Amino acid sequence: MLSRFLDLILAELFLLTRRTATWVLMATWTLLGLMFAYIVPYVMYRNGDDEGPGTIPSMLPDQLTATLLDGYPFFGGAIALVLGVLAVGSEFGWDTFKTLFTQRPGRGQIFAAKMIALGIVIVPFVVVQFAAGAATGVVIGLLEDVAISAPSATSVIQGIMAGWMVLAAWAAVGVLLAVATRGTSLAIGIGILYSLVIEGLVSALAGSIGVVEPIVDFFLRANAYSLVRPLGGASSITGDSAATDGPGAFSGPFVDETQAALVLVAYMVVLLGASVWMLRRRDVD
Amino acid sequence: MAHGSNGTYVIETERLTKRYDDITAVDHLDLRVRRGEVYGFLGPNGAGKTTTLRMLLGLIQPSSGEVAVLGTAPGTAESLSRTGAMVETPAFYPHLSGRDNLRVLSRYTGAPASRIDTVLRQVDLLDRAGDAFRDYSLGMKQRLGVAAALLKDPALLILDEPTNGLDPAGMAEMRDLIRELGHGDRTVLLSSHLMNEVEQVCDRVGIIAGGRLVAEGTVDDLRGEDVLVIRADPLMEARRIVDGMEGVREVQVRSGELCVTTGTDSTLEPAHVNTRLVAEGIAVSELRLERASLESVFLSLTGSDRHTDDIAWPPQPGNQAHETREVTHAV
Repeated sequence: MLSRFLDLILAELFLLTRRTATWVLMATWTLLGLMFAYIVPYVMYRNGDDEGPGTIPSMLPDQLTATLLDGYPFFGGAIALVLGVLAVGSEFGWDTFKTLFTQRPGRGQIFAAKMIALGIVIVPFVVVQFAAGAATGVVIGLLEDVAISAPSATSVIQGIMAGWMVLAAWAAVGVLLAVATRGTSLAIGIGILYSLVIEGLVSALAGSIGVVEPIVDFFLRANAYSLVRPLGGASSITGDSAATDGPGAFSGPFVDETQAALVLVAYMVVLLGASVWMLRRRDVD
Repeated sequence: MAHGSNGTYVIETERLTKRYDDITAVDHLDLRVRRGEVYGFLGPNGAGKTTTLRMLLGLIQPSSGEVAVLGTAPGTAESLSRTGAMVETPAFYPHLSGRDNLRVLSRYTGAPASRIDTVLRQVDLLDRAGDAFRDYSLGMKQRLGVAAALLKDPALLILDEPTNGLDPAGMAEMRDLIRELGHGDRTVLLSSHLMNEVEQVCDRVGIIAGGRLVAEGTVDDLRGEDVLVIRADPLMEARRIVDGMEGVREVQVRSGELCVTTGTDSTLEPAHVNTRLVAEGIAVSELRLERASLESVFLSLTGSDRHTDDIAWPPQPGNQAHETREVTHAV
């Protein structure tokens, strides 16, 4: 029984890793992270546009976790949402659910295997970016001729876990939207609209309209930023990161990190539970 | 219906119905497919064939009625593990090769990896197995669909238009393959709109129209009896003479010809009819035996026979489109 389920997971991993879109998303995400966390700030620093004392130290390897995690709740969320949509929505587009559902395993098992494979694939999304960030930090340290020290293993592991959790929660949003809309295009559209307009605008209003704040406390964005803040991320509060301005800017409200982790897990459970419920109940026409 | 209560039928439906809002796609369908037979499932577009197949595979839930596949409920691991299917167009991952697609499915089904090349060889796709599915022609996609259905070495094979997109040689090969697959204990349910395919391959045929089974039986049963067609002069005198001959059941005049139906146990020979008519001074210019083609039967039963007024298989009295014509000769 267990070996059969492992076979399903291996099949799903094979499907995800043999797909160009997975690698394109991973490369995009890695480059995006490097661009906003290292390259743009460094170019600005070299051009004299930003000569703040914290610029170079924040790009060194020992600040890896704090520097990279800033991008996860917003940019990473969008990338993970697309990954989640593609992992499930394409099955509708290709009509391959029809093929899979006429094999032996039940729909619940198939979905579970898909989600485990998706969770596994998200790990390198975080790890590769961390590795690339560390390498870039070393290069910047060498260029600037400053002392380079490695980040603590604890901070890196915590950072990877937090990053994974943020991406996984957003991927779950993508999965639900893909199942609900039975496709990819509309799901991605709605997902991006939700993350930008609903969560973005309402979060921005939270500071000025008090009644909105309790709602924002349960938004993915607020909880994701709250999860990464204790690890040095969400440094918009200190004003020295890319999260300060632009669409990814977030200035609270923040919640307790434990609550943040629980809310993200709850998101995953509810979103994936609703997805599997729909998938099992609906006809495959 | 008690699942598994009867080992004779591999597929058994009772008043199986599927409604979509105001549309009834399948309407109280009673279908029985026997173990080891190749059963042809015929019907015009929109008749409910694919909806029925999807219900048999558990892809869609019936609105009402009962269904048992291999003695169990459709869509369960027990029934799916012994059922291979290709419904409508074959659906695979476009970026994967044919072989890799089967690799994924072999993990899903638990079929040994060694089966992959076996089934690819069976459908003559071994040479192109490494190509991406997206680069396959329609015919190759169909072949891969059949290969995937065979991967489990299933007891029940459900094929929906398997020769779709194949060239004539490929169609002939596919028909041979289906016939071969239908030997022994394996049951094949073949949904098709190609009459000659069904005539050549199937042991029994069910015709569905408007979501209902309107006829079921062997191809010979459905085509009915031979009709003796006579062109003679004077026609009405010839009719009077033939009508009085022993063994003649019915004589009709159609398009200036006599259409003579004999009883099933009649030994009346055309030569004998000719001799008698000539002896009576009738000029016989043509005398031939005709039998309804499966196509004409199909068109007649499914209400698509506007252009076939002179088909040889006449509708039975009271044979409405929604009334199953039972033709139950032993197969």
